[in-house]
Amino acid sequence: MLSTASIFDAFRAEIDDHNDRRERLIKASRDITNISKKTIFLLHRIALSPPRDGDAESPEVSASKKGRANLVQVRDMYAKLKDDIAGDRFWRYEGQVSPGLQEYIEALSFAHFLEHGTLITSEDVQRTLLGDDGQPASRLIFPLTVSDYLLGISDLTGELMRYAISSLSQRGGRTKAMSTLAFVRMCKGDFDGFTPQIRNLSKKQSVTTQSMKKIEDAVYAIVVRTSEYDLPPDLLDDLVAQITSGNSDRKRRRDVSDDGDRENEMNVD
Amino acid sequence: MDPADLELLNERLESESQLREKIKEQVLELDKKSRVMLGHLNKVHSIPSSEVPNLLASVRPVLESTHSIHQTVSQLVPAHQFWRWKDMWTNGLRSFVFVAAFVQFLTDGTLLSLADTTAQLGIKDEWKDRFALPVEDYLHGLITLVNELSRLAVNSVTLGNFEEPLKISAFVKDIFSGFTMLNLKNDLLRRRFDSLKYDVKKIEEIVYDVSLRKLAPKKAVSVNTSL
Repeated sequence: MLSTASIFDAFRAEIDDHNDRRERLIKASRDITNISKKTIFLLHRIALSPPRDGDAESPEVSASKKGRANLVQVRDMYAKLKDDIAGDRFWRYEGQVSPGLQEYIEALSFAHFLEHGTLITSEDVQRTLLGDDGQPASRLIFPLTVSDYLLGISDLTGELMRYAISSLSQRGGRTKAMSTLAFVRMCKGDFDGFTPQIRNLSKKQSVTTQSMKKIEDAVYAIVVRTSEYDLPPDLLDDLVAQITSGNSDRKRRRDVSDDGDRENEMNVD
Repeated sequence: MDPADLELLNERLESESQLREKIKEQVLELDKKSRVMLGHLNKVHSIPSSEVPNLLASVRPVLESTHSIHQTVSQLVPAHQFWRWKDMWTNGLRSFVFVAAFVQFLTDGTLLSLADTTAQLGIKDEWKDRFALPVEDYLHGLITLVNELSRLAVNSVTLGNFEEPLKISAFVKDIFSGFTMLNLKNDLLRRRFDSLKYDVKKIEEIVYDVSLRKLAPKKAVSVNTSL
């Protein structure tokens, strides 16, 4: 019979191994979150830059391309971690992998939206998570869960709100805001159906609702002003810029929750 | 959202919740078994040691009857998804570890190893990505065993069995020193391990009481102190 000491020695090795792997994945998840957040900033920056003459593609499309190129880093990180998250390990460490993964899906879906104006499908997200070694069947780094996909894309609406409101002051921003609003509404409607089955989705849905209301308020301001003044687009752009900044000021005074909202959102992220 | 994707996601969620229901049915069965066995074993505190073998004989078949349920669960869980579903049956499984280890201790006073526990619960190695006994759950079972043994030490003295606390003390100290070799992080296992020292202390006090009054047989005391 084995001595108790030697039995526990083997346990120690196994427990240490588990804790080390866990730490590794937490760190990686933080790095992936970081890359994803930076990519989101990059997407905003390029998509909102004024189009230059002679550019073959719109700022949105070039933003999307650059953003996607940036996100390849994430895939490479997952490919490197393959041993730690493949097979039955994925579910053991799901809690450590999920936060980074959801952030990545948010960035990816924003890039996809800028280029196509549609919501990225779960299959498309899964397709970006293929390692490039071996046969197609073994190329999957890990299976994308319904929950991670939905929680990832439900963060997209917050970015779309920022995007719609910042682009308002630009030429063509008003149509853009309207179409973005329609898209956010659709997201809210579709995701509502999933709230009973997905844990934490309802919290994200309330953030989506707030984002939707913010775009609605901004669009409302535009419509009211456009009906009052029959101005050429140039002047109207200036006017709208004033209205939107004034609008957000008033809002802040009306409810202190504006900053609170942002904090909430950070927490949910 | 793309309608095809919407449908796909709904289908996946639907089949997941059906699976959860099916596993739940099995888990309820397992919980019943665990209650039956714990009920039986509870009698050990009030019967003379001569009756213990009979008691164990009534527990063993129930423990064996968990095999088929474990097999059913292992067939329900999809490949690689063990960790996804294991929370559903973890409590039951830990109590089975305790039962198996307690039965073993009462039978011959030895510690049931992880491999033997796995075998006694009818868990097969080839299920390992669907149903397994992780080290953590085995250790939880052992802690429950120590908790129970500190109670048994008290009650065996009440029943006039002065040798039992000495046996328990040596056994528990061995397990305790094993636990001190582990690097535990701040989780439930760690907290439960921290509570073990009170059990060890309690058992030591009983040994002290018994040996001070020269109630324990001489030989057993000397074996115990040499450990």
